Amino acid sequence: MDAVLLTQSLISGIMMGMVYALLSVGFSLTWGVMHVIHISHAAFGLLGAYVAYSLLEYFGVDPIVSAAVSVPLLFLLACGVYQLLIKPITKAKEVIVASMILTFGLAIILENVMVLIWKADPRIMTPTYSSGALIVGPLYFQYPHLVGFGLSIVGITAIYLFLQKTYTGMAVRAAWQQPEAAQLYGVNLYRISMITFALAVSTAGAGGISLALLNSFEPHSHNLWLIYLFLVVIVGGVGNVVGTALAGLIIGVITGLSMALLPFQWVNLVTFGLLMVFLIFRPHGLFKQGV
Amino acid sequence: MEKYRLTAMAILIAMLAAFPFLEPQVYYLSFMFSVFMYVILASSWNFIGGYAGYLSFGHAAFFGIGAFATAKIAAVFDLSPVLTILATIPAGAIAALVALIIGYPCLKIRGPYFAVVTLCFAFVVDLAVKNIEFLGGAEGIWMKIMDVPEKLSRSIMYEVMLLLMVVTLGVAWWLGRSRLGAGLRAIRSDEEVAETMGIPTAKIKIQAFILSAFFPGIAGGLFAYYLTYIHADVVFNISISILIVLMAMFGGGGTWLGPIIGAVILTVVNEGLSTFAQAEIARIIYGALFIVVTIFMPNGIIDFFRKKGGG
Amino acid sequence: MKGKRMKGFSLFMTIAVLCGIMLTVPAAAIGAGKPIVIGGSLPLTGEFAETGLWIERGMRYWAEEINTKGGLLGRPVEFKIYDDQSNVGKAVTFAEKAITVDKVDLLFGGYPGTAARAVMAVAEKHKMVYISMGGHMKSFQQGYAYSFGAPPLMGEWWYEGFFQWLNSLPANQRPKRAAVYTINNPVGLSLQDCIYRWTKYLNIKIVIDEKYNSPLTDATSMIVKAKQMNCDILFSNGFFPDGVTTMKAAKALGYNPKAIVQGIGSVVPAWVKELGADGNYVFSGTVLHGMLNYPGNDKLNAYVKKKYKLGIYPLYFGFGYAWMQTLQQGVTGANSLDQTKIRDWLKTHKVNTIAGPMTFDKYGLPGPINFATQIINGKVELIWPKNVQTKQPVYPKPAWTK
Repeated sequence: MDAVLLTQSLISGIMMGMVYALLSVGFSLTWGVMHVIHISHAAFGLLGAYVAYSLLEYFGVDPIVSAAVSVPLLFLLACGVYQLLIKPITKAKEVIVASMILTFGLAIILENVMVLIWKADPRIMTPTYSSGALIVGPLYFQYPHLVGFGLSIVGITAIYLFLQKTYTGMAVRAAWQQPEAAQLYGVNLYRISMITFALAVSTAGAGGISLALLNSFEPHSHNLWLIYLFLVVIVGGVGNVVGTALAGLIIGVITGLSMALLPFQWVNLVTFGLLMVFLIFRPHGLFKQGV
Repeated sequence: MEKYRLTAMAILIAMLAAFPFLEPQVYYLSFMFSVFMYVILASSWNFIGGYAGYLSFGHAAFFGIGAFATAKIAAVFDLSPVLTILATIPAGAIAALVALIIGYPCLKIRGPYFAVVTLCFAFVVDLAVKNIEFLGGAEGIWMKIMDVPEKLSRSIMYEVMLLLMVVTLGVAWWLGRSRLGAGLRAIRSDEEVAETMGIPTAKIKIQAFILSAFFPGIAGGLFAYYLTYIHADVVFNISISILIVLMAMFGGGGTWLGPIIGAVILTVVNEGLSTFAQAEIARIIYGALFIVVTIFMPNGIIDFFRKKGGG
Repeated sequence: MKGKRMKGFSLFMTIAVLCGIMLTVPAAAIGAGKPIVIGGSLPLTGEFAETGLWIERGMRYWAEEINTKGGLLGRPVEFKIYDDQSNVGKAVTFAEKAITVDKVDLLFGGYPGTAARAVMAVAEKHKMVYISMGGHMKSFQQGYAYSFGAPPLMGEWWYEGFFQWLNSLPANQRPKRAAVYTINNPVGLSLQDCIYRWTKYLNIKIVIDEKYNSPLTDATSMIVKAKQMNCDILFSNGFFPDGVTTMKAAKALGYNPKAIVQGIGSVVPAWVKELGADGNYVFSGTVLHGMLNYPGNDKLNAYVKKKYKLGIYPLYFGFGYAWMQTLQQGVTGANSLDQTKIRDWLKTHKVNTIAGPMTFDKYGLPGPINFATQIINGKVELIWPKNVQTKQPVYPKPAWTK
C-alpha cells in the first residue's frame, strides 16, 4: 500500500467525478422538474465542447473565457428546442417515455450534424495548461482537472443558489412539488419549464467543456457520456442538486480507490458492480427525490 | 371474428415460412432474420418493460449471455450444426437463470432506479466476459461454419428464427390475456394498490423477467451462429439495449402489437435509409423519424391508431 | 372493441406488405458489360466513422486513378458502399447484400477487426476474394482460402521493427524495466506477443503488465505506478482516446521514461494534429508509410497534400488504396472476374503495392512486415529497418517541455 499513489489517485478521481456531476446536474433537473429524460443532454454538452474547441483553435480564446459565449448560446438554442420539440409532448400520457424517444432522435441528429461540421476525427482541447500540473510536495494537481473541478463547483453552486434564492428558482421548486397549486398561484409552468430546460442544457455545455479538457472527444462520445449521466443522477437522486454533487464525489472516490488498489482490468467492472450493489441497498439513491 | 384473425395469422406465418422456398437471395433471408430477431427482442422486453413498467436498460446482457453460452457449449462439445442450434435452448435457460438471480434483488427497485441497475448489470456482464477467459475473453469466439450450401444454411437460420418469433409472440399473446398479464398491468398502474389487492407482485415480476430473458437468450445464440464470430463488444453493445427499449416504446409498450410494429418499422427504415441516402444524412433522417412520430403520436403508434379507429 | 383490434391487425398487415415491397425495390440487378462494381460496407457513421472514412477516401482515389487510365479489364470501376453504422451484424448483412442482391463483381475490405473477422467467414462461404486488414493472426489462422491481408494490420508484427532497432543499440543503453499497459481487446492482446518474446530476449524486465478495459477515463494512477517502479520504457498498447489520456497524464506528472511505445492510436492523423509537440517521440510500428521507396507513395502524398492539407497520407488511406491495388493485380493477372481464378493467381504470384512487393502464404498473408516509426517534429518518421530510415531515432526521449 502506497500513500502517495492512493492520494494521487483519489485526487484525480474526485476531480473527475465532480466534472461528471457538472455534466449531470442539468439532466437531473429536467428529469426531476419536467419528467423529461433528456437523452440528448450529453450531445448538447458535446456541442459546447466543439464550439469551445473551435473558438480556441481559430481565435485562441481560452475555453473558460469562451464559456461565457458558448454557454449562453446553448441557453438560447435550448429555449428554441423546448418550444419546438419538448412543449408539444408535455401532454403525452407518459412524458418520460415520449421524451426519451424524442430526444434519442435529437441526439442522433446532433451527432451527425457535428460530424458534418467538425468531421468524425477525434479532437483534443489543448489550452496552454492542458497537460501541466500544480505540484504540492509529492502530489500533482493536474490543471485540466483543477479547471474542471472549479467550473463544476461554480456551476453546481450557481444552480443551487438559483433554485434556493431567486423567485424563478422557487417557482421551479414549487412547480416540482405541487404542480396544480403552483399553477393556481399564477406560476406559468411552460415558462418555468423552458427556463429549467435551457439552464440544464447550459450546464451540460459547461460540463462538456470540462470533460473535453480531460479526455479526447469525437461526435459519438456523447453515448459514453450519457452513461455517466445516468449513473451520477441515479446515485444522487433524481432532481437533487446537492445529491448530484455528492454522487460525483462518490463515483470519483470509487474510481480513484479502485485504480490505486486493483489491477486496472477490474476497475470498470468493480465500479459498475459497486454501483449496482449501492442501488440495491439504497434503491432511491443517496436522497429521496426532490429539488 | 377471433377465428378469422387466427386464420389470417396462420396464413401470414405460412407465407413467411414458405418464403425461403421461393429461392430468394441470401440477403433477404438475412435481413428478415434480423427483423425477426428484433421482434423477438422487443416483444420479450415488453413482458417486463411494457406490461409491468419496469424499464430494463440491460437486455443486451441476456442476448449476449445466450450468444456466448451457445458458442461456448458448441466449442466444448464440438457440436454438429443441428445440435448447435438446439444448444441455444440451454443457452436461453442460462440467460433465464441469470435473470432469476439478478431479478430477485433488482426487481425490488422501482422506476428509473431499476433502469440504471439493469444498465450497470449489462456492463458488469460485458466486462466479466472480457476479463474471464473461460467465459469468452476479450479475443471473442469463432464458431464452426455450417458445412452446407450458403443458401441452405441461411434458410435454416431463417426458419429457426421465425419459429422462435412465433413462439415468442404466442407467449406474448397468452401473457396479454392471462392472469399474469393482468397482474403485471396492475403493477404498472400502481404497485401498492396491486399488492393490497392480493397480487403476489414479487413473484410475478420475477416470472415476467425470466420469460423476458429466456427468448432473447435463444435469439442471441442464433445470432452468434449466424455471425460465426462473436465478440463482447458486438453482442453486449449498449446500443442494442437502448434500441430494444425504443422499438417497444415506439410502437407502444404494454400491447401485443406495439413492439412488433416498432421493431419492424425501425429495422426496415434503418436498412432502407442506409441503402438510399448518404450516410450522415440517412442518420439525420432516422433521428428525425423519432421526433416526428413522438410529436404526432406521443403515446405510441398503436395508441394513435386505436384512438382514430375506435373514435 | 373488435373494431379496434381489426384496425390494429390491418395496420400490421399493411406494414408487412409494405416491407415486402421495399425489399424488392433495390433488387434491380446490374447487368453485365457495365462497370465493374466493387461492394461491401464500411463504418461511415458511429464509433469507427473516422477510420472508415479514411479507408473510403483511399479506395476512391484508387478508383479515380484507374478509371482515368481506362479502367479494370477495360471496364470502369465503381463502388457500392454501405454504411454499417459501426455495427458488426450490419457489416455481415451488407456483405451478403452486396454479394447476393447487388451481385457485385468484387468485394472490398471492412473495418474494424471484429467486423473483418465476421465478414471473412461470409466471403469464404460465398467464395469471394476478400482483401482487408483482417483481424490479426488468429483470424487468418481460421483457414479461410479467399481472405488476404494485403497488407494486414497485424498486432503480432507491430513492434517487431522497434525491437530490432532496440537490439541494434549497445546493451547498456537499452531500457531495463518495462511498464506494459494493454487495452483488453483483440488489438491489444495481439500486441502483447511481440513484447513478451523480445523483452525476454533483450533481458528487459517487465515490471508492470496490466490490461485495462475501454474507456480509460484517467491514467493518473497508471503513470504514478510506472514512475514509482522506475520503469524506463512505457508500452501504451491502445487506441487514440486511451493513448491521449495516457500521454497527457505522463506529461502532467513529469514521467520521463527513455522511450514511450504506443499501439495504434498514434497512427491517426489527429495524433500529430491535436497533440502537437506532446505527441512527439512516440515509437510505434506500421505496415505501410508514405516515405517508403515503393512506387505510388509520392503520388498519394501529393494527393492528400492537395486535398486534405496533410504532409503524408494517413495509414488507413494507404490501407484502402493498397487493398485495391492488390485486388486490381489479382483481377488483371487472372484476366477474369472469376473469384477462384483471382485467388489462385494471388496465391501464386507476386503483387506490388505501396507497402512493397508481397507474396502470400496459405493463410493469405505476406511475410512479416516490420517497419518501426517514431514521431519527430510532428511527423511520422521511419526509423527501422536501416535501409528505409528517414530520420535518426531520438533516444532517449527528451524530457517534457513545460
